[in-house]
Amino acid sequence: MEEQESANVSEAKQEVAPEGRYLYCVIISSSNADFGDMGIDDSNVYTIIYKDIGAVVHKCPAKAYDSKNEQTVKEWILAHQYIIDEATKKFGTVIPFSFDTIIKGDEEKVKRWLSEEYSALKDKLETLKDKAEYTVQIFCDKTVMMEKIGKNNPSIKKLKEDIKTKPKGVAYMLRQKMEGMLKDELRLLMDDYAKDFYNQIRNYADDIKVEQRNKPVPDKWKDKQMIVNLSCLTRKDKVEQLGKILGEINKKKEFSVRFTGPWAPFSFVGEIGGSKK
Amino acid sequence: MTVKIDEKNLKPGLLGLVVALVEIIQETLERQALRRMEGGRLNESEIERLGNALMELDEALEHIKKENGIEEIVGAIRNDLDRVADEAVGKIINPEKWKEETGKVDKAGMI
Repeated sequence: MEEQESANVSEAKQEVAPEGRYLYCVIISSSNADFGDMGIDDSNVYTIIYKDIGAVVHKCPAKAYDSKNEQTVKEWILAHQYIIDEATKKFGTVIPFSFDTIIKGDEEKVKRWLSEEYSALKDKLETLKDKAEYTVQIFCDKTVMMEKIGKNNPSIKKLKEDIKTKPKGVAYMLRQKMEGMLKDELRLLMDDYAKDFYNQIRNYADDIKVEQRNKPVPDKWKDKQMIVNLSCLTRKDKVEQLGKILGEINKKKEFSVRFTGPWAPFSFVGEIGGSKK
Repeated sequence: MTVKIDEKNLKPGLLGLVVALVEIIQETLERQALRRMEGGRLNESEIERLGNALMELDEALEHIKKENGIEEIVGAIRNDLDRVADEAVGKIINPEKWKEETGKVDKAGMI
């Protein structure tokens, strides 16, 4: 099928939009594989091999996939993820591309790109070997935490007493003062915990990325404050220990842990190669 | 830098904006009052008067929010305002980084 396509390429180039190859991921393999018509828009997904590495692709016009229809985009992204998961199952470590990465050209272009980036790709594959990406998010229940602070802080305890006995206006001012003190304490404490948790988790990741802590989360976590948001590149044999540490943290009433994975290591791929489109 | 107000709900949006701004002023007043109280510059009856006035303002704002069902809008507007202020401060502290980041957004938009 590939030979036929090459023969038609020169004619095709003159008539229609330039062709391209949609890139799913780079794998370690010396022989071709076929994933069937399981790609985006049921495209036929196959491999282009150079030496002992390969690119998992489907043939498409050299144009980004774009749609205003949310459902369509969702399906595309799911297909993208599906192929990457299948490739990971078949070939172990893969270097995943982000959605909608297309190289302008044909099989030869892809092969040339693989050969140009060969050592960078091999190095990256080695770095990612036997590892996966995990997301660790730790949430703090501010109400529970402030109760704890209130119990252990003598000035705050004194304020609580005064508030009960003083006249209304004074009590209001004292309440504002107390809330200010609680908020300041809370901020310091959450910061300390965040640093402490980071240091604990760091030991179980070969690479770690600090993510934004105001990312949207499912409703279950909406009332809590995210104090830790990390993407961890963790070796498969260290995941269990990481899980144990997180389990201990999760047991505490003031903290909740959200631990997801394994994911393909999207966050740890970095920039490889020049402009692709 | 934009603060989002839903075109479909202009009145609650505008009212929400006004209440959000009054809340911010209220909090500034309270901080100032606390500073004076802690600085020992007020006697107990002055504290009592101040506390009562601030408490009444607080209750009035809560009442307006409940009556008009704008508690959520006010919260959202205040978060947006926080973000706008954050961006402005960030731009002042580090103009290069801000230029970089807004550049990234443009590139993503073009792709």
